[in-house]
Amino acid sequence: MNQEAITVKNLSYKYPDGTKALEDVNMEVYEGERIVLVGPNGAGKTTFMLHLNGTLRGSEGQIEIFGKNLEKMKREEIVKEVGMVFQDPDDQLFMPTIFDDIAFGPINLGLKEDEVRERVEKTILSLGLSGYEDKSPHHLSFGEKKKASLAAVMAMEPRILVLDEPTANLDPRSRAELIGIINELNEREGITMVIVTHDVNAIPELADRIYALNRTMIGTGTPRDIFFNGALLKQNKLDVPDVFKLFEVLRAFGLNCEKLPLSLDEAVSGLAKIIETEGGHIHLHIHEHTHDEIGEWRSKYEHH
Amino acid sequence: MVNYPEIDKYSSLDSPMHRFDPRAKIVAFIILIFAVVLVPNLKLAFIALIGAILFLIASKLPLRFALQHIKWVFLFVVPFIIIMPFTVSGTEIFNFHGLTMTYEGLEYGILVAVRALSAVILVLPMIATTRFDVTIKALGELKMPNMLVQMFMFTYRYIFVFVVEFQRTWRAMAARGFQLKTNLYALKTIGRALGMLFVRSYERGDRVYQALRARGYTAKPKTLVEFKMRASDYVWTVVIIGFAVSLLIVSFA
Repeated sequence: MNQEAITVKNLSYKYPDGTKALEDVNMEVYEGERIVLVGPNGAGKTTFMLHLNGTLRGSEGQIEIFGKNLEKMKREEIVKEVGMVFQDPDDQLFMPTIFDDIAFGPINLGLKEDEVRERVEKTILSLGLSGYEDKSPHHLSFGEKKKASLAAVMAMEPRILVLDEPTANLDPRSRAELIGIINELNEREGITMVIVTHDVNAIPELADRIYALNRTMIGTGTPRDIFFNGALLKQNKLDVPDVFKLFEVLRAFGLNCEKLPLSLDEAVSGLAKIIETEGGHIHLHIHEHTHDEIGEWRSKYEHH
Repeated sequence: MVNYPEIDKYSSLDSPMHRFDPRAKIVAFIILIFAVVLVPNLKLAFIALIGAILFLIASKLPLRFALQHIKWVFLFVVPFIIIMPFTVSGTEIFNFHGLTMTYEGLEYGILVAVRALSAVILVLPMIATTRFDVTIKALGELKMPNMLVQMFMFTYRYIFVFVVEFQRTWRAMAARGFQLKTNLYALKTIGRALGMLFVRSYERGDRVYQALRARGYTAKPKTLVEFKMRASDYVWTVVIIGFAVSLLIVSFA
């Protein structure tokens, strides 16, 4: 197993008014892993995220980044290791042009001018932002701004990337593109990812492991573990991918499907396999138990 | 698409003023603007105005765009032309029910207006011919205090965000039947909407600060700039400052 990238031990945090936002939160992330953090609104996801680069300090507990205690790390050291992409790109892009914004981090890391230029150029190329250097953020579309925010953080070459709702409000194409970029960065550069998202359909593509947070960590496991844990999902107002639900329905209609698919890709290969083993076709039917099963299925996902 | 009130809308044109080094441009035009507002008589004021118009022509900025910006400033100047003739004492032109218009007053009013107009016209070739972010960087290079440069930079970045946010609020109000009228209710509602905008700006400020810190902000951001003075920059600097100095010499000699 790889080295531990992030270790959170017994972290608690109270808002200034005394409300407990996080209580005894534990997490372990290994280098190169892609972690998705899920949880209902107000579960403390963003608050937790802001602890990972020391923006907020917990009242109790400790966080280690590559084995080093965050409390004892210098600011420059932290921002060099942990990059954070905020949800609203208008918060993230604060410089007048995209070039300046991407150069901002590397300059703060104390790099020389030619090194900064090199980094900016490299980042712009790798994220397909050529031609945007001199543009102001208010001239970009939301999707472009989102990509630029990611570029601005990537230029600092962090080993850990924390993303808050990277796919929110994106059109389908930009969303797919961004998911692709995140996975490519993980594969090519081995960057450890912690992704906060409500986009359940994106989770199978983005997650090696899920952590479910609702003020405290309420569950962890592979997407499959979590999506099969009906009680956990229901209690915490969480959801599963549409493909997964559809195949549950198909199973009620008699589809002989052992392993429910989480993504479309899995669905395609799963279906192909079923058709192959069943002699060239699939068979669906309605029996008496079908109605009962569909009823059960409905109640499983009703969040009332 | 939002129609932003951008001063640097035409900064991508090509003209001698656009090619002029931003640092030299700022220094030269500021000196000229000071000289223009100091001219003591109408004759020199009109020479200054002609000079300003020539610089504006040299900048190739569209006339419509220029008038749009001059228009607003001129609204502030018009009262001087109206009030001055009746308040400055001197040779009487006519008397209307005890209200006397004087020749000196009229002359002074026009002088104020022409000086202001020339100054405003000069601002256009100075800042409308450079991307605003470059102008800010040029100010930084000219040793403007870092704190001010940052304030300019963030203001420039976020003014557009606030414009959009306000428009959004405004549309939401209109969508629920709000109409702008001159009654207390309308004023109260606008007051509340502005209040919300302040609160939201404050919260955004918080988040931006978090984002700044997350990328190692240390209150001294630097930007990379590439400014280089060429021969033509020196020529223009000499021409503009020369014009300014001549105005001053003729004025006070």
